[in-house]
Amino acid sequence: MPVVELAGVTKAYESKVAVSNLSLSIEAGQIFGLLGPNGAGKTSSIRMMMGITIPDSGSIRLFEKPFDRKSLERVGYLPEERGLYKKMKVIDQLVFFGELHGISPEEARKRSTEWAKRMEIADALPKKTEELSKGMQQKIQFIATLLHAPDLIVMDEPFAGLDPVNAVLVERTLLALKDQGKAILFSTHRMEQVEKLCDSICLINNGEAVLSGNLREIKSRYERNHVIVEFEGDSAFLNSAEIAEAKNFSGHAKIRLKPRGNAQKLLHEAAAVATIYRFELVEPSLEEIFIETVGGKTNA
Amino acid sequence: MRNILLIAKREYLEQIHGRAFLFSTILVPLLIVALLGWSSYTNRNANAGKHIAIASDSANLADAIRRQMLDDKDAKNTVDIIAPASEQDRASLLKLVHSKAIDGMLSIDTSSAGAVTATYTSLASGGFVNLGGIRSALNHAVASQRLIAGGVKQADADAALKSVSIDTLQLDKDGRIANTKGASPFFKALIMALLLSMPIMLYGLDMARAIIEEKTSRIFEVMLSVARADDLLAGKLVGVGAVGLTQIAIWMIAAMLFMGSALAATALTGDFAIHFSWMEGLLFPIYFVLGFALFSAMFSGLAATCETSQDLQKFMPLAIIPLYLSMGLLPVLLKDPNSVWAVAATLCPLTAPYIVLPRMGMAAVPLWQLAASIVLLILSIWAVLWLSSRLYRVGILMYGKRATLPELVRWLRYS
Repeated sequence: MPVVELAGVTKAYESKVAVSNLSLSIEAGQIFGLLGPNGAGKTSSIRMMMGITIPDSGSIRLFEKPFDRKSLERVGYLPEERGLYKKMKVIDQLVFFGELHGISPEEARKRSTEWAKRMEIADALPKKTEELSKGMQQKIQFIATLLHAPDLIVMDEPFAGLDPVNAVLVERTLLALKDQGKAILFSTHRMEQVEKLCDSICLINNGEAVLSGNLREIKSRYERNHVIVEFEGDSAFLNSAEIAEAKNFSGHAKIRLKPRGNAQKLLHEAAAVATIYRFELVEPSLEEIFIETVGGKTNA
Repeated sequence: MRNILLIAKREYLEQIHGRAFLFSTILVPLLIVALLGWSSYTNRNANAGKHIAIASDSANLADAIRRQMLDDKDAKNTVDIIAPASEQDRASLLKLVHSKAIDGMLSIDTSSAGAVTATYTSLASGGFVNLGGIRSALNHAVASQRLIAGGVKQADADAALKSVSIDTLQLDKDGRIANTKGASPFFKALIMALLLSMPIMLYGLDMARAIIEEKTSRIFEVMLSVARADDLLAGKLVGVGAVGLTQIAIWMIAAMLFMGSALAATALTGDFAIHFSWMEGLLFPIYFVLGFALFSAMFSGLAATCETSQDLQKFMPLAIIPLYLSMGLLPVLLKDPNSVWAVAATLCPLTAPYIVLPRMGMAAVPLWQLAASIVLLILSIWAVLWLSSRLYRVGILMYGKRATLPELVRWLRYS
């Protein structure tokens, strides 16, 4: 069941086309990555999904119905630019956002306490927002997004500003929500997180979708012509005639073979001069696909 | 509607618990009382304790003037006489004035037949303040001298020239008589104007600053995903307006308690014999709400176009000029509360919130003018809200630079 459907959505500001003829669909129980370089049109697309701006043409459907503000009660939104009322106490702020999403103050208070324990910030509830660190505020905003148990969760750069420990906490929470059947859309620049979490992606550039679909399917379209080698000894084999490009990070090399490059031959050459701990033929990483797809084509 | 009320409640609770509310609730009335007290004190003491020298070629006339001037016991003036005074005497007195040894010199020349000429010389720029007392004493003395010269006895001359005090009475619209004393209508008008203008300005600008702060902190992006921009604006207006009404209610209750106390009987006398009618009590919150809604709606739209509080400064004349115009009109109201200017200011939506109640304290305002003033204010609020909500919808999501005039026009066309 598609939770969000965009069909031929276009939005222009003055002479600049922010989003052009964008179509995508997100299913329940799916994590969807919206990717693209700065200024590609990610935030403009998200703002239209959230009813903050209205598309010039095309249609947006939420929960299998044409866009309706009432549907937003089932949506949790974490924008890229975080914002909280600085002078308000954290608990009052969470209850306020809960009430705006249609839950009772008592229920909002109860859920805030539960979520605060889960996100390891229960001590912050009676404090004013301005007294908290940026990372803590980020987690408060994360809770505010999820407090009303939305069926669709939209997060713009959810990992920005989080330390590795808290980033893992957020990752686990998102995976748990996915298991509960929630549809999750997030935009990010961190490709390793997209590879780890996303089922589907849409890569947009200059407002247009340039690559979209199931992540595994997309990666399988690319030839396995990348090699990861972990070795000790002489690195002379990195100058092999089979290699188009190689990056050596002190015994950990990432290699791209030439179009007809022979991996077996390269392995022999490497084994002759160094001790090989790992030699793995892999698909290109999402980061490489990203750079290959949008490289040199951005206007940003 | 639920979102409007939730946003209004949040605004109300945040403001009401703030220190600014506590300070302004206490400080504004204290400031007004202090201002009026200081004004009354300086007015009373402007003519007191002066050291004046009279240089005249007629000793009798100089003495008569001196007696008149010393009759005002509150003034506690010192009056010296040099008569007959030579040119050298007058020059010496001028030097004393210059060296501040005395406050002023009254030079009188009776050499022309039947004519008396007088010159008062002083250093202080406010010397004109006590000129009224000197003129009165001089005219009284000259008239008395002329009557005596004509054969009238001193006692009869004094009786003939005895001053008559005037009590002022004011008819209300029902023809009832209300007693007004001295400067009390002016002080009442001033209190009304200050009590209305201060909260309207303070809360209106406070709301504009809050919008800029929320725009800077990017909270609007979150809020707009759950509420429409118009609901956000309406919630803010209702919440902050309710804070202002709470403050006015506190002031009115405090004023009523004060009026009923024994202290009021002694304090509200003379120039401060100020009383409010039930109609004024009813219209006070109405004009506050209308004035607040007009200026706050205007500044909310403009604030959404700004990036910083400094950007807002360029729009300040829109708030300040109507206020200055209204304050400047108070003396005109005192002179003729039904003049063309007073009627125009009553009907003009930008000045009506500051002018109508002060004017009512001085004269009965025709009912049609009150009704027209309220209708025009409501129409203006609707028009300003229409424009502001369009600027607000677009402006709160525009970051990075201050909007130019052509951009603002385009924003109005977007929605």
